[in-house]
Amino acid sequence: MLGIRRISTNRWWHKKKNWILFTIFLFLAFVRISKGSFYKDFYYFISKPFWPGKFQKEIILESIDQEYLIKLNLLKKDNLRLRRNLSLQESSNKENISAAVISRKSGSWWRQIILNKGSKDGVKIGDIVIGPGGLLGRVKHTSLFTSSVILITSPESKLGVWVDRIQINGLLVGLGDDYPSLILYSNDADIKVGDFVSSSPASTLLPPNIPIGIVQSIDETLKSKKTAKISLLAKPHVIDWVQIVNVNI
Amino acid sequence: MGANCECKYLMNKFFSKKISIISFILIPIIFLWHPSWLGFLGVQPYWPLFWLLPWSMMNGSVNGLIYGLFLGLILDSLTLDNSFTQIPGLIFCGFLFGRIKLNSDILVGHFRYGLICSFGSFLCGTLYFLQILFKNFSDSNSLMLIPSVKNILAEVFLTGFFAPFICSQLLRMFKFSRRKL
Repeated sequence: MLGIRRISTNRWWHKKKNWILFTIFLFLAFVRISKGSFYKDFYYFISKPFWPGKFQKEIILESIDQEYLIKLNLLKKDNLRLRRNLSLQESSNKENISAAVISRKSGSWWRQIILNKGSKDGVKIGDIVIGPGGLLGRVKHTSLFTSSVILITSPESKLGVWVDRIQINGLLVGLGDDYPSLILYSNDADIKVGDFVSSSPASTLLPPNIPIGIVQSIDETLKSKKTAKISLLAKPHVIDWVQIVNVNI
Repeated sequence: MGANCECKYLMNKFFSKKISIISFILIPIIFLWHPSWLGFLGVQPYWPLFWLLPWSMMNGSVNGLIYGLFLGLILDSLTLDNSFTQIPGLIFCGFLFGRIKLNSDILVGHFRYGLICSFGSFLCGTLYFLQILFKNFSDSNSLMLIPSVKNILAEVFLTGFFAPFICSQLLRMFKFSRRKL
């Protein structure tokens, strides 16, 4: 009996050292199979305090902003030069007038805003008003101290626009809701959701290439035209400050 | 001290007498103010009806018609839509409201203001919408305008909701100013 007991205590699985080695082997196998993900995650936590901070991020973003601004100015100059060479329409180079929105009717049938700059500040009827995002509307009336702007969502507003991807002109009609309708007088126009709409180079009311909106949905094709709903880039119901751009067309 | 008291008394007397005129002048200002926190789906209640209803009830159809015209003229001059006008709706409402007799039961009166103003708002909104439809009829764009019917519905709801509070107060003030006269 004693002899048998002695043999059983000598088995390899009765030795602690072997189990430790087996565990280490299993761990290494896990590391190998998981391609070191455990180490990487561990490194993530221990290196966290030494990551590049917000300050560095801000410096980089500022540099990127400056880079974009310089590029934009260069492109603007190029655009202006080429437009002059080709005798195309151009907007005025005068300084834009900044104005605050003092009255806003962006719901219901009457869609207009009133700005705190009027004829004494050089605002004229027909000037266009842009906000963060793009075109908001056109100045339709000025008093000495205020100017009234008809929004592009108003049922009275009709503007010539340009769909850049398919290179086609259309008519943007305000309907009295937040999404004006784009009418393309071509049955086979390949308009798609997400297409970018800007002011038309052929428009007699607006300077060219002012961002307006994005195609949100396409309505059913009528006899000879296609219509689409446009989601505006500039949101008139939240914008408090706008730019009035003098138009010499 | 005595002069000061007399001055205050005269001011109060003036304001209580002219409350209808003062409130009339305030309508375009509220119309322009357009407080977004009072809106529903971006739409505001139709403010002129809150004044026109008590005024017409007090002064009759002809007065209501005339002041409806005045209100329409002022509000049209504030909005930039040259092709459409609010005058027909307001004239019609002014005339109609003048035919309504004052109700002695306060609660019924309160709810009635809401219903009448809702109906008036529906009338004005529909007349305005018909003008827009008529203008766009020739371009065959009229079908696209159907979704904007929500403007009328939101306006009807809001006008009916606020009318019991505002109209009854204004009516009380108008009655008070008349009694002083």
